[in-house]
Amino acid sequence: MTSLNGDNFKPVLLRRLGLPNSQTLNSYRADGGYTALTKALTMQPNELIDLVKASGLRGRGGAGFPTGMKWSFLPQNVNGPIYMCINGDESEPGTFNNRIIIEEDPHQILEGIVIGCYATKATTAYFYLRYEYGRCYRTLQKAVDEMYAANLLGKNILGSGYSLDIYLHRGACAYICGEETGLIESLEGKRAWPRIKPPFPAIEGAFRRPTVVNNVETMACVPHIVNNGAEWFQSMGVPKDPNNARDAGSYGPKLYCISGHVNKPGLVELPLGVTARELIDKHAGGVWKGRKAKAVVPGGISMGFLSADELDTPLDFNGPGKAGCLGLGTAAVVVIDDHTSMMDVLYNCCRFFAHESCGQCTPCREGTAWSTKILERIRAGHGKLADLDILEEISASIGTIPGTTICGLADGAAWPIKNALKKFRPELEEYIKSGRKSESPQLVGAH
Amino acid sequence: MSELSEDTKQKIRDHFVRYPTKQAVTLPALHMIHDQRGCVSNKAMREVAELLDLAPSQVNDTLSFYGYFRSEDSPSGEKRVWVCRSLPCMLRGGEELLAELCKRWGIMPGQTTPDGKVTLELAECLGACDGAPCILVGDELSLRMTADSVEQEIGRTS
Amino acid sequence: MPETQVTTALVNDVPVEVGPKENVIQVARRAGVEVPHYCWHEDLSVVASCRMCLVEVGETKPDGSVVMGPKLVPGCQTPVKPGMVIKTDSQKVKTSQAMTLELLLLNHPLDCSICDQAGECYLQDYTFKYGKAQSRLDEPKVQREDKYHIGDQIALFTDRCVMCTRCVRFTREISGTAELQVVARGSVEEIDVFPDEPCNNKLAGNVVDLCPVGALCSKDFLYKKRVWWLKSQKSVCPGCSTGCSIEVDQNENQVYRLRPRSNPLAQGNFMCDDGRFGFKYVVDERRLKTPTLKNSVAANGAASRNGNGHANKDLADLVVADPWPEVMKQTRERIKAAVKANGSDFAAVLSPMMSVEEAYLLASFLKGLDSRVRLLLGPVPVAGANDCYPKGPKGEAPATDKTKFTIRNEKCPNRVGVEMVLKHFQGAVVPLEKAIEGSSTINAWYFVGGYPQGWVTEAIDRAVGTPNLLIVQDIFPSPLSMRADIVLASAAFTEREGSFVNHAGLAQSFKAATRPIGEARSDGRLLSELLERKGLYNAMVIRKEIGEEISAFKKFGGGDLGEYGISLMNRQEVGV
Repeated sequence: MTSLNGDNFKPVLLRRLGLPNSQTLNSYRADGGYTALTKALTMQPNELIDLVKASGLRGRGGAGFPTGMKWSFLPQNVNGPIYMCINGDESEPGTFNNRIIIEEDPHQILEGIVIGCYATKATTAYFYLRYEYGRCYRTLQKAVDEMYAANLLGKNILGSGYSLDIYLHRGACAYICGEETGLIESLEGKRAWPRIKPPFPAIEGAFRRPTVVNNVETMACVPHIVNNGAEWFQSMGVPKDPNNARDAGSYGPKLYCISGHVNKPGLVELPLGVTARELIDKHAGGVWKGRKAKAVVPGGISMGFLSADELDTPLDFNGPGKAGCLGLGTAAVVVIDDHTSMMDVLYNCCRFFAHESCGQCTPCREGTAWSTKILERIRAGHGKLADLDILEEISASIGTIPGTTICGLADGAAWPIKNALKKFRPELEEYIKSGRKSESPQLVGAH
Repeated sequence: MSELSEDTKQKIRDHFVRYPTKQAVTLPALHMIHDQRGCVSNKAMREVAELLDLAPSQVNDTLSFYGYFRSEDSPSGEKRVWVCRSLPCMLRGGEELLAELCKRWGIMPGQTTPDGKVTLELAECLGACDGAPCILVGDELSLRMTADSVEQEIGRTS
Repeated sequence: MPETQVTTALVNDVPVEVGPKENVIQVARRAGVEVPHYCWHEDLSVVASCRMCLVEVGETKPDGSVVMGPKLVPGCQTPVKPGMVIKTDSQKVKTSQAMTLELLLLNHPLDCSICDQAGECYLQDYTFKYGKAQSRLDEPKVQREDKYHIGDQIALFTDRCVMCTRCVRFTREISGTAELQVVARGSVEEIDVFPDEPCNNKLAGNVVDLCPVGALCSKDFLYKKRVWWLKSQKSVCPGCSTGCSIEVDQNENQVYRLRPRSNPLAQGNFMCDDGRFGFKYVVDERRLKTPTLKNSVAANGAASRNGNGHANKDLADLVVADPWPEVMKQTRERIKAAVKANGSDFAAVLSPMMSVEEAYLLASFLKGLDSRVRLLLGPVPVAGANDCYPKGPKGEAPATDKTKFTIRNEKCPNRVGVEMVLKHFQGAVVPLEKAIEGSSTINAWYFVGGYPQGWVTEAIDRAVGTPNLLIVQDIFPSPLSMRADIVLASAAFTEREGSFVNHAGLAQSFKAATRPIGEARSDGRLLSELLERKGLYNAMVIRKEIGEEISAFKKFGGGDLGEYGISLMNRQEVGV
């Protein structure tokens, strides 16, 4: 199949964006919706898992784990229920792709969920949605109600003998619920303290039962793979690196969120592997006010920063890592112009993670708060050059040394510090030496 | 006298079928109560605990983890306005917007105006970075906001 | 040739046998290597959150080469397999330990000088061994309110807390009462209770022991004594028939606190608050502090100075140096005379508060005089039903196989042991209550009490009446001691040594932690003197004798019952 990259690319996940009544079942069906489900229900669950494996689909939530492989980790011949959890807790700064596709085309996702549940033999799916997405919640609830009425959910779906319930479950403002085991704990009605692993959710997840946790955008890809095949999916994106046996490739379309100092912030869908520069210049109208980009967040702030001379980095699963960032993350690109102080940017990132640290592991709980305090002091004009060394050490102990904490939040908290120090150290030193005070308002408020 | 109405209690019990444990109904129950009262009182927590076969401390433990629920000491005003201050919004004036609203309304984040109309909250990324700076009123997002448009949105004039 | 099965792991290059289901901390401990940790506790769920126990692990490949893993792993969460290579002292581990300690101490106040935990604090100890000398925090430390409302017995010094959550897990997993909670999130989170619901369950005191730092403190012990002045003695709690192994911590003959002593055969790692705080009677003002004789030939009109509330003359005034030789002489003579008059009209009441050795000495003395002497079992105090933990959400008891701790309703330590002695000497156990039903010919009584509370019921009082001879060996005055011919002021458990047999037949020995109050004497000593045995009373020696003489106590033969005690029988024999 010819590559659908470049000019041949046509939006897949966003193809129905902006159509009138795009949220309704009728409209979705008129555009061929639920044909993939009908087809999937004629297949064996294992065939579907193999198909998704063959497509090379990797999780869109941040970690990029191969979806089919995740599904295949469920134990065989399970007695009792298997659960699917949909991770709609999208909270990584810069990220809003799930919000838009849920608001605009909920059935696309729900169809993917039903197919995924059928493939994994899950009988209940919990759609964990962050509280702030009220419109998404109402849109989804309406869509789920439509599905029950149309026998697309509930008992004996479309006469297949397969039954499934989907329940929406709203969060309550906590970033850590996006971590899959934090999500599970939150779903169970507890504080969202991520669990130690093993056991992994596939063996012991929600309610201590085998569980699959998948991202919203990931599930939206599934109906298209069923309809168009693995080869079609692999015709988009970046193939496996032949020199790297561990590379699983970066296939398929991806929703890129562009925000910050660009003329046209927004959501674009492109094959995986577009460069940051192309996104900014071609798809976001360039850096605003005729300025230049100083730094670019490649995939949500926990991934760190690309410097101005790293903008040709392809935003696939490997690219940002090669440029010293943590990874592709959520493909949320935040552009920072050359009039912005990296000290302010770094402070903002550190404060975010201190606010969102779940407080379970010592290094993250204390380290995120400490780094924020240090940056507050620096921004108040009382910095010392030695502070940068302490920040570096904190970043190492909370995340960049592997294994220091239970979950990845600490890695995410460490990477902006590590990258800022590595790529923007002269600017940070100059800030401290100048004794300058930040102009932006400091507001202390409730938790 | 029970704090939760029988209707609310029944709505909470109606959720039991969705989950294998009653504890999983904690967040749905707390949301229901908060929607009605703008806070979750200690008494309400006790009653939820009773319904879910938990100790009140377990409900409070969960509740206090999340940034959303307000206590009986400082219930939410009629409108609850969350202003995003995370990086994408900060880059486009989120912090200035927040400072301006504080000034106009004479309150700090977390506080409610003396007339009880508005509670101002700090938010971390609200997931509407395409419309930075953004706010959340209740559970509806509003994008590309200025202090004036915020006031217009909530029907308030300074 | 069969391949040799690898059964060992290497801890810092030292081979150690690997047991089933052991984690790195446990295996390293057996190799003599400490893996510092705060949140892990063998009785609680593993949360691996303090990150103090991070180590490096690797495995030995078939070719003998060692491949270390790329990550630091928590020792608590990592099961050890044979062939595993564990490094607890690599530079990577040391760096991580030092940084974790620096982070834990960031906002920790430097108030060791007024902290109860100082001297037995894991922040102090680990910082000394694995930490840095200085903090690099340049900002003011966060200060938090102390919380005296946590429980009647428990105060929380909030800013000393390291958020290991052991206490929270204890109340959820062991007591099941779930009073404690974490409130808020991240660096502002704290331990607390729900408003107006303090942590007062009967196991609550254990959270103070579980707290690895000075955050949770016992109000009873607070600011009473620096721990380094305390001397510990191994003992057994006499509060109920569970027989928790304990440590008695004393200084200058004053008991300051009891702590549970780990014993997998008895109760595990915990004890109840009834036992923990129930030792105060040992120093109660009302204790019998001197022996007394009534109608004694030796007694003259000297003024009484005793504080026992007895009208009797106090021998301490007569025999200034020591009243006991005369008391013991008369006791012996009058018992012998009474037994001689009619052995079957002489009854001795052995309380289940007595040790096996004490019961043996008294029984063998009396039966040696006349086998018709009647030995009776004193009242066995029972309160309600067994109190089992963890409790369910509505306070309900757990299923038997889910029970993790039981406060037994039998409020004495040694019914089983005393009954075994009684069975040996007279074949059957006759309870006092039974013997005094209807009319009785008993006209000479020897009572042993030792109960922390009053035990002489009106029925007992009436039945005893005014016999020819009444001897009371006890720690508190009672209607019987008030009119007794001879009162032998005896000792409470911290003042005695001996052994108790618990409800399940586990015999544990205990040592004296303090000297008896006033002129009182330990029961073992005064009974030894009654028998005119040579030398000082030594429970170990008596146990050896018992082991030879009584087949049910055969396992006493060595005298030493070891750290955990010795199980004397299987559960059927005990009748539980």
